[in-house]
Amino acid sequence: MTPVLDVQDLTVYYGKRRALEGVSLTVGRGEIVTLLGANGAGKSTTLRAVSGLVRPERGRIVYEGRDITQAPADAIVAAGVGHVPEGREIFPEFTVLENLLVGGHTVRRSQVGERVDAAFELFPVLGRRQSQLAGTLSGGEQQMLAIGRALMPRPRLLLLDEPSLGLAPLLSREIFRVIQRINDSGVAVLLVEQNARRALALAARGYVLETGRLVVAGPSAALAADPRVRTAYLGLDRARGGAAG
Amino acid sequence: MTTAALVHVVVSGLATGSIYALMAISLVIIYNATRTLNFAQGEILMVSTFVGWTAMQVLRAPLVVVLIVAVAAAAGLGWALERLVIRHAISATHFDVLIITLGLSLMLRSAAGLVWTHDEFPFPSLFGNRPLAIGPVRLAPVSLGIIGASLALMLALYALFRWTRMGRAMRAVAQNQRAARLMGISVERVYSGSWVLAAVVGAVAGVLIAPVVFLSSKMGLVAINGFTAAVLGGFGSMPGAVVGGMLLGVLENLAPLYLPSSIKHSVPFLVMITILLVRPSGLLGRVARRKV
Repeated sequence: MTPVLDVQDLTVYYGKRRALEGVSLTVGRGEIVTLLGANGAGKSTTLRAVSGLVRPERGRIVYEGRDITQAPADAIVAAGVGHVPEGREIFPEFTVLENLLVGGHTVRRSQVGERVDAAFELFPVLGRRQSQLAGTLSGGEQQMLAIGRALMPRPRLLLLDEPSLGLAPLLSREIFRVIQRINDSGVAVLLVEQNARRALALAARGYVLETGRLVVAGPSAALAADPRVRTAYLGLDRARGGAAG
Repeated sequence: MTTAALVHVVVSGLATGSIYALMAISLVIIYNATRTLNFAQGEILMVSTFVGWTAMQVLRAPLVVVLIVAVAAAAGLGWALERLVIRHAISATHFDVLIITLGLSLMLRSAAGLVWTHDEFPFPSLFGNRPLAIGPVRLAPVSLGIIGASLALMLALYALFRWTRMGRAMRAVAQNQRAARLMGISVERVYSGSWVLAAVVGAVAGVLIAPVVFLSSKMGLVAINGFTAAVLGGFGSMPGAVVGGMLLGVLENLAPLYLPSSIKHSVPFLVMITILLVRPSGLLGRVARRKV
């Protein structure tokens, strides 16, 4: 079966600085795949290249069999790729409802209402705060809004960039539960996450990026057992790995 | 001075102020979408008013047709300037684009001079000229017409920004361009739309003000007062543009009553400098933009 997302040999430069070099990865239908790596390793850049925010120097990005490497960002959204960016980037001067409505920019008018209801069903707190300015929401609520907004066009691939960043443990657990629920409804997820342990628990497979290159790839269990991953991203070393596992 | 005379002065001040407000709004529309100032705004107004007037001369068409032709010409001109000139400078700095629009304004003014000469032409008013008497107060229909038409247009713009998909997209782009792209909004289309909308607002202002100031290649200079009004109200704020415009118009009309009449044209700048000294972000501007 063809993967939902097939990235081949992706190379991205920011000016003269190379951000990604020859990155290849796939996300299967209905699969959760995680992308791990230190700050500045190129995780966000990978997501931005997929959603058309940055143009790759080289490589090919194929979504559902269609080459989207050069497609404009708005066409990629319309094709079914949702992107929840790092830092949420909700519209602070819009109300919660307006944020969702603008998320439904590409949705047929007659369907916008039911999509808003679906978002409120997934995140009841957003329904209670629908006429509140989004800039006044708490971090966790803003994250929920960012996810709800990205789901408005019913994407078949969701790119999530650090969804639990800066959230209290309880809230981040809630966010991960929602990601699982979204995935259960058939949406493939490419997850960038600093909480590697939780990401690997959720994802079927993972990739590890180091300074713009893929260094390890494999099923989550294998990655969790890989000594390089354990030391660098799970905060474990071999000496006390067994106890903390 | 009698109350009746004062009311008359204030009402004509509000009429001038409405035009300033419309000009301020059109500058803010483009600024919010693209973060650049359009110095050619006044010249777009002037050219589209001339085109409407020419249509009337040639076709002997009724005055309403002037408005329609002027609006259509403005939409076309705004679209063409953005698409053919500004779009190519999309990755240039805001300062570069500002200089480009300054160049466009000079070119449009010279071109208008070649086509229509630099003379002044009388322009018929959409509204009659028999003064309206309310008690002792006598009001010029031109003033009331300008105020009424401007308010109607402002309400229409409010509805557009608040309730339509395009309006919401424009406001989203103003807040965060990258996030707007991730919503599936074509930022390029918002740029085009902003130029067209701003030009159309300018054209309506042009047709409204031409009977008062005469039609000439210099009438685009009203954009300077529009700019002042926008800064007064807090650049980027639509309600601020309206308040700034109205305030400016009224003060400009009142000042000669109490001060030497030659001061009239310095009033906008005196007011602007005073207010900015007290409130650097303008009347309704935010002191600092929120960051999320």
